[in-house]
Amino acid sequence: MSSIVNRSPEKAQAKPDACLSVSRLCVSIRDPEQRDTKGRPLSSEMVSDVSFTIAAGQTLGLVGESGCGKSLTAMAIVDLLPKPQVYQSGGEISFNGQRIDSNDPKALKALRGKKVAVIFQDPMTALNPVQRTGQQIEEVLKLHFPKMDKSQRRQRSIQLLNDVGIPSPENRIDAYPHQFSGGMRQRLMIAMALAGEPDLLIADEPTTALDVTIQAQIVALLKKLQQERNMAMLFITHDLALVSQVSDHVVVMYAGKIVEQQDVPHIFSQPRHPYTKGLIAALPAAVARAPKTKLDAMPGQVPSIDAMPTGCRFANRCEYANERCEQEAPELTAHETGEISCHHWQTINEASTSGVSKNV
Amino acid sequence: MVGYFLRRLLLVIPTFIGISLLVFTITRVVPGGPIERLMTQAQLGGETGGLTRSQSSGSTLSDEQMEELKHYYGFDKPLLAGYAEWLGKVIQFDLGTSTRYQDPVWDIIKERFPVSIFYGLSTMILTYLVCIPLGIFKGMYHGSRFDSLSSAVVFLGYALPSYVIGIALISAFAGYFDWFPLGGFVSDDFAEFGFWQKTTDIFHHAVLPLIAYLAGSFAVTTLMMKNALMDNMSADYMRTATAKGLMRGEAIRGHALRNSLIPIATSFGNNISLLISGSFLIETIFNIDGIGLLGYEAVIERDYPIVMGILVISSILYLVGNILSDICVALVDPRIRFGESRT
Repeated sequence: MSSIVNRSPEKAQAKPDACLSVSRLCVSIRDPEQRDTKGRPLSSEMVSDVSFTIAAGQTLGLVGESGCGKSLTAMAIVDLLPKPQVYQSGGEISFNGQRIDSNDPKALKALRGKKVAVIFQDPMTALNPVQRTGQQIEEVLKLHFPKMDKSQRRQRSIQLLNDVGIPSPENRIDAYPHQFSGGMRQRLMIAMALAGEPDLLIADEPTTALDVTIQAQIVALLKKLQQERNMAMLFITHDLALVSQVSDHVVVMYAGKIVEQQDVPHIFSQPRHPYTKGLIAALPAAVARAPKTKLDAMPGQVPSIDAMPTGCRFANRCEYANERCEQEAPELTAHETGEISCHHWQTINEASTSGVSKNV
Repeated sequence: MVGYFLRRLLLVIPTFIGISLLVFTITRVVPGGPIERLMTQAQLGGETGGLTRSQSSGSTLSDEQMEELKHYYGFDKPLLAGYAEWLGKVIQFDLGTSTRYQDPVWDIIKERFPVSIFYGLSTMILTYLVCIPLGIFKGMYHGSRFDSLSSAVVFLGYALPSYVIGIALISAFAGYFDWFPLGGFVSDDFAEFGFWQKTTDIFHHAVLPLIAYLAGSFAVTTLMMKNALMDNMSADYMRTATAKGLMRGEAIRGHALRNSLIPIATSFGNNISLLISGSFLIETIFNIDGIGLLGYEAVIERDYPIVMGILVISSILYLVGNILSDICVALVDPRIRFGESRT
């Protein structure tokens, strides 16, 4: 379905203010063990028809539970999918109006680290354990600012460490990653990402491996740096509460597809998709409704990749599901505040205008 | 960390005493020894010479003579006292006298050093020279035809015992084709050669034994290198490196390679002892007068001072090699700081 993509430049520049535009992205995984009747390896689609845009200075939150394709979507943007097993099987990604071509190594080199930088989930393993931090930051500068000399690079690295709030950066620059705490290591990652002065920062669950107090610090730091530099940010998380603090806009993914997309005030006040409602209902309230109340949880599990239903992928867990949902996949439909992919969204919303449905 | 390595060096002493005491005890309790050998020789000599049969009894030596011999070889003392005496001499760099050659042990061993070091060093250098690039290439192109083919070759060499390879090589290339000499370290008229001729002569003799030495040693290091590189190539920090804008080759060179050399460094120190110990089987087959062959003959002939002398040198090298390995690891891996509590 996704092999037919419009590759005309007019399409890519449809939204001139969009820094990043992802249109109908599909990511597939190849299983070398299984082959089809013609002897070709079987592929299964992990991410289907994902489209969104991010404007400069804006933050898009990409939300969903583990294995729903959030990280694959992000990795596809910078062509970091673990090829050849996992590959982009369709769709188009444009950056500042220019299509990202994964067959153009030069363009990719200029893109990665310079225009788009990535912060990974686990700062413990994402840093090279046997290189000094300074060396790792300076590597980015060396790649993307070839005119800088050695002492300028060092000066800049110290400044970057200072920007991300590492105390006495001129001493810490020669330390190794294992000599830093988890939160400090994530700050190193951020400093490294900022070194190329990117237009877009992809933060792939940047705080998941950190404890809650550090999490708040890192999120505040990211927000501050983003505002200072007018960066676009793609913030990937499974934590809806976190998204409300960081993002302007939220895309909710379920089993490889976008189910709902709205701006932050609306997604919390008027979640339309039963899945979003379920996610919000499952949030523990900071001010407890009553002590020790049981958290709402969604029954069931995400369908596995080789048993993906032909109809709505959420049907097996949805209380509104009927025969139509099981047979026909819903299309992403626009409404006044966003987009939704559900056959019953209008009827559901009439039933519960209040927002959070406690029954989900 | 210096303190840690000093402690490790001090630990060499008790370990060394343990090893040498064990072997010393074995030399005392196993049957056959220099005295029995002398007796057999005397018997044979008596019969062939047809001279006086000194004693009427079965033994060719009188009890006094026996006592004298025992005293001469130090067998009259109790085990521990004998060991203490031996150790006392070793500390003064006196390894005793060979019961077979009647020469100082140290001189005999020293004579064989150049041969063993030549083979040990060339094996080591060639192993690293071949294994590291081969491992890197195999790791980068894992699953390619070259990868599978080289694995098959390397494992074939590993699976075949080196002496089988040695014999096969001799019969094929020295026997059937006559391309290489049958054995020995140099030709008989080596002394008359000029410098250039000497060099080619040594290498001409070395080709077959070196292949036999090397055939089995490629597999371990190559596969170690390959696996370490593949582990590191799939590490998260490699993805970070790519995200920074490095191309695959640059990322491997800049990040994965150094980290994959760490396990190679670990095994480096252990190879130091291989430098001189050699393989007595290959030395026997190719008739190379190295330390391996010397040790083998010494064991067969019950020439205990030489056995103990080789043991002293190889065990000290092994123990020091182990410490060297640790130093190498600490040098290449900043996460390792021996003997310090982690901060």
